[in-house]
Amino acid sequence: MDEAPVSLVNVHKRFGALTVLDGVSFDIPKGQTTAIIGPSGTGKSVLLKHIVGLIRPDEGEVRVFGTNMANAPEKAVYAVRKRLGMLFQDGALFDSLSTGENIEFPLRQHHPELSAAERRDRVDEALEMVELPGLYDRPTPALSGGQRKRVGLARAIITRPELILFDEPNSGLDPMTSDAIDALIGHLKETLHVTFVVITHDIVGTINVADHIAMLYQGKLVAWGTRDEVTHADHPIVRRFLGRNLVLPSPDDPRPAALPRID
Amino acid sequence: MKALAWIGGLAWFGVDWARSSLSCRPPAGKTLEEAYRIGVQSLPVLLTISFFVGTNLALQGYNAFVPLGGQRLVGMFVAMAGVRELAPLIAAAMVAAKAGTEMASQIAVMRTREQIDALEVMAVNPYWFLVTPRLYGIILVMPALTLIAVFVTLVSSFLVSVFQLGLNPATFLEFARGSTRMRDIFTGEVKALVFALIICFVSCYCGFVSEKGPEGVGKATNQAVVVSCILCVTFNYLVSQVLYG
Amino acid sequence: MTDLLARIGHFGVFAGRVAWRVVTPPWNFGDFFRHAWIVSLRCLGPVIAVTFPFGMVIGLQGLAIFNMFGAQRLLPSLISVAVLRELSPVLASVLVAAQAGSSYAAELGSMRIKEELDATEIMAVDSLRWHVAPRVAALILACPILNTLGDVAGLAGGYTMSVLIKGEPGGVFMANLWGFTHAEDLLAGLIKTSIFGAIIGLIACYHGFYTTGGAAGVGRAVNDTVVRATLTFFAANYIITSAMFA
Repeated sequence: MDEAPVSLVNVHKRFGALTVLDGVSFDIPKGQTTAIIGPSGTGKSVLLKHIVGLIRPDEGEVRVFGTNMANAPEKAVYAVRKRLGMLFQDGALFDSLSTGENIEFPLRQHHPELSAAERRDRVDEALEMVELPGLYDRPTPALSGGQRKRVGLARAIITRPELILFDEPNSGLDPMTSDAIDALIGHLKETLHVTFVVITHDIVGTINVADHIAMLYQGKLVAWGTRDEVTHADHPIVRRFLGRNLVLPSPDDPRPAALPRID
Repeated sequence: MKALAWIGGLAWFGVDWARSSLSCRPPAGKTLEEAYRIGVQSLPVLLTISFFVGTNLALQGYNAFVPLGGQRLVGMFVAMAGVRELAPLIAAAMVAAKAGTEMASQIAVMRTREQIDALEVMAVNPYWFLVTPRLYGIILVMPALTLIAVFVTLVSSFLVSVFQLGLNPATFLEFARGSTRMRDIFTGEVKALVFALIICFVSCYCGFVSEKGPEGVGKATNQAVVVSCILCVTFNYLVSQVLYG
Repeated sequence: MTDLLARIGHFGVFAGRVAWRVVTPPWNFGDFFRHAWIVSLRCLGPVIAVTFPFGMVIGLQGLAIFNMFGAQRLLPSLISVAVLRELSPVLASVLVAAQAGSSYAAELGSMRIKEELDATEIMAVDSLRWHVAPRVAALILACPILNTLGDVAGLAGGYTMSVLIKGEPGGVFMANLWGFTHAEDLLAGLIKTSIFGAIIGLIACYHGFYTTGGAAGVGRAVNDTVVRATLTFFAANYIITSAMFA
């Protein structure tokens, strides 16, 4: 296997008296999709913020593309960030810009060599990929929740990053829109061939897209492995968390381990 | 045009409150609690601002009167400008900035979280429940806050005049006392009551009509303090015109 | 007490980092002009609505004083001293704090809550440079402009009261208007207000930038901004005025 784009070594983080991450270590494999799951408030989002350098750990290493985000200077952090893309929970679009301008923003900032027409082509291409063609001029407050996520996704992939992170891609969406987003992630996974990290508590969506699963519980990594390893693990907390959400596949049933899809 | 519609809405809000709640007994405990909160919250800010208003009043008065050879008039200038106009207005502006914005943002957050709808569903009149205690509370404390502002303004301008500008303290006090009457203090109290009504109704109204979400809360809070200030200054002019004009 | 000192230190670091980004390129000119324009436009009405009646009140009270000494012709000089040196700078800045300061706190606060600031950082763009510096710079420009308009409105209020309402002769008013005031007073007002603009901008952006706790947190940021910005620039006003005139 190639060198892992993200590797966590014994990461600790506390906020005041509250321990949020308590010695988390694992490597995220290159070119595959890793889901980080766990109940609310177990430090999933905090872990994600460590990977992108918004929070620095109290102890341990967070290596992203070989740079240790725990103590890297600002310039090195920005250099890492130019190689990754992230989809935020509600898209985190700038309300002062139009849909197209939002997607164009990272290109404008980091690729001054592109002409306006080239940038426009890239934006149209990205809008195509997230299945929202022709929305360039739509003001962002007029977008629906699902559309905001897709635009956020288009913005995340516009710079052709090597690593794409998703923060709760399904939260706040109805089941149909949520499935459509999962399908979109699955599609991008096949076309882009980059590393995906998905943070979620929505097991159904996770099972559909993940190659590897890491489960966090109270700041600790309680399960880590391939999808099949984790979904069949005997750990009591994993069982409790998965049990309610999941119809486990029996060996003679070829369906993926998920509820029926609405297409 | 939009401004006129807004003022109309505000007036209607006041009438609506009066119709539904004027005859009801106010919630005594909550009213006292609000009075205490508004008073205590606004006091440190009020003290600081009145202090600096006093210092600058003395500095500017001194600079304006020196070319006339009328340094002795500083005491009179400070007393008239401070007691009649500035102290009541500054008290109002700070209560609007501190307590008014808080009223607006609290009510706007309740609107965002649909708690106001919940009150209606539980058959509690939100005007009575949310506006009445704040209104009676602010009416209780505003005159006292104004008196404090007057006092602090005079003290700080006295200190600056005597210690920084080297004026004769006896002359300062003589001129200050000679130019203020009980009537001026009384006028200040009338103004304080008018400002209290304005601040409370404007701030609560901004909260009630706010849009949902964080932007809505921010906008309501922002609007509350700006509109309160404008209306207070305008009504200050009207009251002064009636009483001194 | 130590808590307060820590906060002031934290603010100092923030202010220094923003100041560095205001004076060094690259600059976000687009947002700077947009914000300066919006602030000037949105504060214009409130500034005039406050300074005009205030000018009238000075006219009213000043006339009462000068009538006692039979020195009515000094009134316009007093009005222009009061308006140019103190009232217009202070009132314009109070309204900038209330209107622009609070809307900056609200904007940045909701950008923080909706993760737009984090998103900016993730896209390897310096959020202080991109979002905060143009706002602070815009207030440094807009505050003196609004002060100048406040000067005009305040003098117009004084004129309205003494000439149009109280019937003092208009020619005498205009002739005595610049009795005690000079170009330096106007300049002093401009310098003062750009300092106030910087103070308001920094305090507002600080509260917005470090907002926590959802919609209620945004409300709190706005609330704190108006009060603390006003307090700080009043204190600064005393110091500047002492240095300039005394």
